Amino acid sequence: MRGQEIWRKRESIKNWQIFDGNLSGYHKKKYVCKLLYIYILGWNVDFGHLEAVNLISATKYSEKQIGYLAMTLFLHEKHELLHLVVNSIRKDLLDHNELFNCLALHAIANVGGREMGEALSGEVHRLLISPTSKAFVKKKAALTLLRLYRKHPDIIQPQWAERIISLMDDVDLGVALSVTSLVMAVAQDNPDQYKGAYVKAAARLKRIVVDGDYTNDYLYYKVPCPWIQVKMLRLLQYFSPSGRYSLNIVTKILTRRSEDSHVREMIRESLQKILNLAMESNKNVQQNNAQNAVLFEAINLIIHLDTEQALMKQISSRLGRFITSRETNVRYLGLEAMTHLAARAENLGPIKQHQEVILGSLKDRDISVRRKGLDLLYSMCDSTNSGPIVAELLQYLQNADFAIREEMALKIAILTEKYATDIQWYINVSLRLVAVAGDHLSDEVWQRVIQIVTNNEELQVYAAQNTLQHVKQDHCHETLVKIGAYILGEFGHLIAEEKGCSPIEQFMALSGKLSACSSGTRAMILSSFIKFVNLFPEIKPQLLHIFEIYSHTLDSELQQRACEYLTLASLPTDDLLRTVCDEMPPFPERQSALLSRLHSKHAGTSDKRTWVVGGKDANVDGSELNMAKQPALKRAFSSNMTANGDGAANGATNGTNGHSTDLAGLDMNAGPAAEKLLKAPNLASAAHLSPGWEPGYNKLLLKADGILFEDGQLQVGVRSEYRGQMACLILYFLNKTPATISSFTTTLDLDDSERANLTWDIKSLPDSTISQGGQARQVIMFESKKVFSKSPTVRISYLAGALQALTLKLPLTAHKFMDPAELSSDDFFKRWKQIGGAPREAQAIIGLVSGKEATREIHEVFVRKVIEGFRWGILVGVDPNTKNFVGASVLHTSEGGKFGCLLRLEPNYASQMVRLTIRATDESVPAVLLKLMEQRISAGVSKPSLTHEGPTRQEITDAFSNVLVT
Amino acid sequence: MSTRLAKWFTTLSPKDKAKIVKDVSQLVLARRTRMCNFLEYKGSPLSLLYSHGSFLTRGLDTKIVYRRYASLFFIAGCSSDDNELITLEIIHRYVEQMDKYYGNVCELDIIFSFTKAYYILDEILLAGELQESSKKNVLRCIGQQDSLEDMEVEDEVTRIM
Repeated sequence: MRGQEIWRKRESIKNWQIFDGNLSGYHKKKYVCKLLYIYILGWNVDFGHLEAVNLISATKYSEKQIGYLAMTLFLHEKHELLHLVVNSIRKDLLDHNELFNCLALHAIANVGGREMGEALSGEVHRLLISPTSKAFVKKKAALTLLRLYRKHPDIIQPQWAERIISLMDDVDLGVALSVTSLVMAVAQDNPDQYKGAYVKAAARLKRIVVDGDYTNDYLYYKVPCPWIQVKMLRLLQYFSPSGRYSLNIVTKILTRRSEDSHVREMIRESLQKILNLAMESNKNVQQNNAQNAVLFEAINLIIHLDTEQALMKQISSRLGRFITSRETNVRYLGLEAMTHLAARAENLGPIKQHQEVILGSLKDRDISVRRKGLDLLYSMCDSTNSGPIVAELLQYLQNADFAIREEMALKIAILTEKYATDIQWYINVSLRLVAVAGDHLSDEVWQRVIQIVTNNEELQVYAAQNTLQHVKQDHCHETLVKIGAYILGEFGHLIAEEKGCSPIEQFMALSGKLSACSSGTRAMILSSFIKFVNLFPEIKPQLLHIFEIYSHTLDSELQQRACEYLTLASLPTDDLLRTVCDEMPPFPERQSALLSRLHSKHAGTSDKRTWVVGGKDANVDGSELNMAKQPALKRAFSSNMTANGDGAANGATNGTNGHSTDLAGLDMNAGPAAEKLLKAPNLASAAHLSPGWEPGYNKLLLKADGILFEDGQLQVGVRSEYRGQMACLILYFLNKTPATISSFTTTLDLDDSERANLTWDIKSLPDSTISQGGQARQVIMFESKKVFSKSPTVRISYLAGALQALTLKLPLTAHKFMDPAELSSDDFFKRWKQIGGAPREAQAIIGLVSGKEATREIHEVFVRKVIEGFRWGILVGVDPNTKNFVGASVLHTSEGGKFGCLLRLEPNYASQMVRLTIRATDESVPAVLLKLMEQRISAGVSKPSLTHEGPTRQEITDAFSNVLVT
Repeated sequence: MSTRLAKWFTTLSPKDKAKIVKDVSQLVLARRTRMCNFLEYKGSPLSLLYSHGSFLTRGLDTKIVYRRYASLFFIAGCSSDDNELITLEIIHRYVEQMDKYYGNVCELDIIFSFTKAYYILDEILLAGELQESSKKNVLRCIGQQDSLEDMEVEDEVTRIM
């Protein structure tokens, strides 16, 4: 269609008022379609929107579909018409026809904003988690939630986390992919709440890559769903492996993840497989791309993990090959990956080997590659190679593309300042940089040069000499004149004795530039002249002459300056002049404006960056602030003329656009993060124990093996073995439901205060699917580092239709790490006395819990059983009173060493009381043991039964059947 | 050079959109063969306020990933941290998907049934993220839509008769 025809058509649709309501649905559809077509061709369509949007509420699918399409193309999230359609969209979300659900989800995912999110997120979430939702609805719902989350994070409620994570196990890879995208976005902001996603991603990745668990649909040119592989690999990078380089303060909490050797092994296996697969070269472009996409993401993860030495070695040699590849894409990506490596590596050695090649990439015919080369050179620069690199960059800057000159100049300036070990080098390079790149230089650069010279006395003479030489030349860039004007005005007197630098020569050089400069520069020159009046009285007449000329200029700013200076210089005494022209004080210390400027370029991306371009210190907390500690520049300073944009370095690493003043910006990030943590409930913690956790736990306190928990759907059994300070705990999970349960997940948790005292390593994870009547098991090794008083907890969740979840306390307490000991009577009393009373003694008089007296009792058999169960060796014939019990035991810890423990229990069965005294060789021990035993004894034992057993299995089953915990 | 189909996953003013389309087209057309498929594109500082996903730009401190098929350029924008190659293959998957649906797709198919091209894109990308990489699954979804539409047309015909 020619333009004129389109115009006619557009006008006809408008004028005929075809949207008057009498048209049939078919015609409406036809006209909206025409409008859309005209719109796509780039014409302005500012009418008919309402009519188009009204089609959404049609009953016919085809009309609805066009209506929705028109809505996503014509409207945007803040459009007022959107208010009118919220109810239609809700209706379609609730419709039984999934295709209608999909249309509604698409609409929200395209134009949904905060308001729509608040109204409809509940329905979207329902579609995501409902067991009856089809796979193709679920994945759309997941991404729709993602959109809404990005618009307004509060849309996703903290309690949804567990359910959403469990969907990462969905058999449908499309659902798994979409949910992983959602989880990745949310986990960046709430890593602790979504830490379960780490294990899930590692396990799923291994299932796909190593075990080959996927359907053929998802093979993309022989690569199994590269998209989901990339997503999983990326997700893993959002969790900090060691905490050392964590970009985000919050992620530090996740450091303990690294203890799980099983997870680490799964990740290592997948990564190795990916590296191996990538070795096979092939001709197909798509396969190559997909394979390399996964490979480069794997490389990023390996660099991020920073613990896999073997893998690291493999990739450094490969990266060397990539950057010389004949394929441009590979060269580009190789340079990018190497930049990431340089951002993290302790040792830049492997990268420096390739310095020649990398410098060569600055001459690549493709600007994209040149840019990457520049990034890499910037990142790999350190004090040993800064000379050649900066020289090469300066050389290249003269011919560089305009698009990249400013950034290059900025980077050169930063490197020069950062690695300046030699005064002359700094001044030479800076002045040359200004001379070469003057037009592309932001003001921050030359202002910073002046600040550094002002604050460092040893630079001043050399700087003055050099700038004067530059200014004397005929062709001198205006920016150099600015620097010259300022430096000579301040420090010109330092070189006035030298040959060729006399006051009059300095004056001639500057005044020669006056005519060719812009008014801002002229003003600076005038200011330096008034300083000359103070410093060099011998050339005062020449200076006054210049002021006189400029007091008649048309530029009001210059005129005012000239008049004021003229008056100032002509005053009878020079007291005022001297005060005004006193030496400038050093500039206050602040973050470099150069870095702020560089990093401000990174702000505003959708996902947080996992690293930033720059050396290692750019990627450590506090970013590049340690520039202030460079030895050659006693200080690092920031411009007080360009005060904005501080804290941008933080903003860049965290992806926020936080505005802050000075260095306090660091705290800005800690604040909201901490709040979020408080808000998020940790369902795995002891505060959320499920009803009915206690009987099994209590029973297992005295036994190594048994059933920890059982309900109508799941039985949890425990077997354990203790050797010294080590414990091996095996959890068994038996599926009692009449169907397969999926997404079976366990999460261990322990109170923060105890984390240093008890550590664990997960040796194997339970299978995520358990068939009917089937069993899964998990092996965990615990190590008791010191005495601990709180037991770890485990959160178990699984999908049996809806999400089921329970939190149990593990029967793992300090006394489990004790071994009964034999002592003779003499030994016992000798040690008992040696230890002495408090603080290495704890004592309590224990009776039955009030209210239980009628049904429970304390008698000898029970007491003996408790003492033995708590792993004391009962010593016979030690205490003169045979009713009393004495016991001895050794408690093992790895960091605290072994503790000897002694016990004395004096019962009074008549009053149903006992007095319990515990002494130990360390004061941390007695109270903990006493408390554990006190709880147990005060519970007593039920009266009628003389053989002392806890409730039978049947009793537990009856008591807790049908307890559903969500 | 004209745009046949554009889909935005970011909220932008028409003016910003037009500027981006113009800038990016120029940049991409200036590229020669054997250059890489990636390109840096810095939007104006103003548009930096917007972020998040898109096919044909998502976020503006961005990378451009493009691929040429005969006379058609497919261009996607992604954030500077995104995986370039996998984005490139999203483009290819979309093209393949259209090829499968239309049967040997050409420019005219996209022009004449642009609505379908949008519907297919919606099945592949949502909120700027890939939602389905299985060709069969996407085809099934589109097939369901088509048959529902056909049914409605039949109903209409019967009613008129």
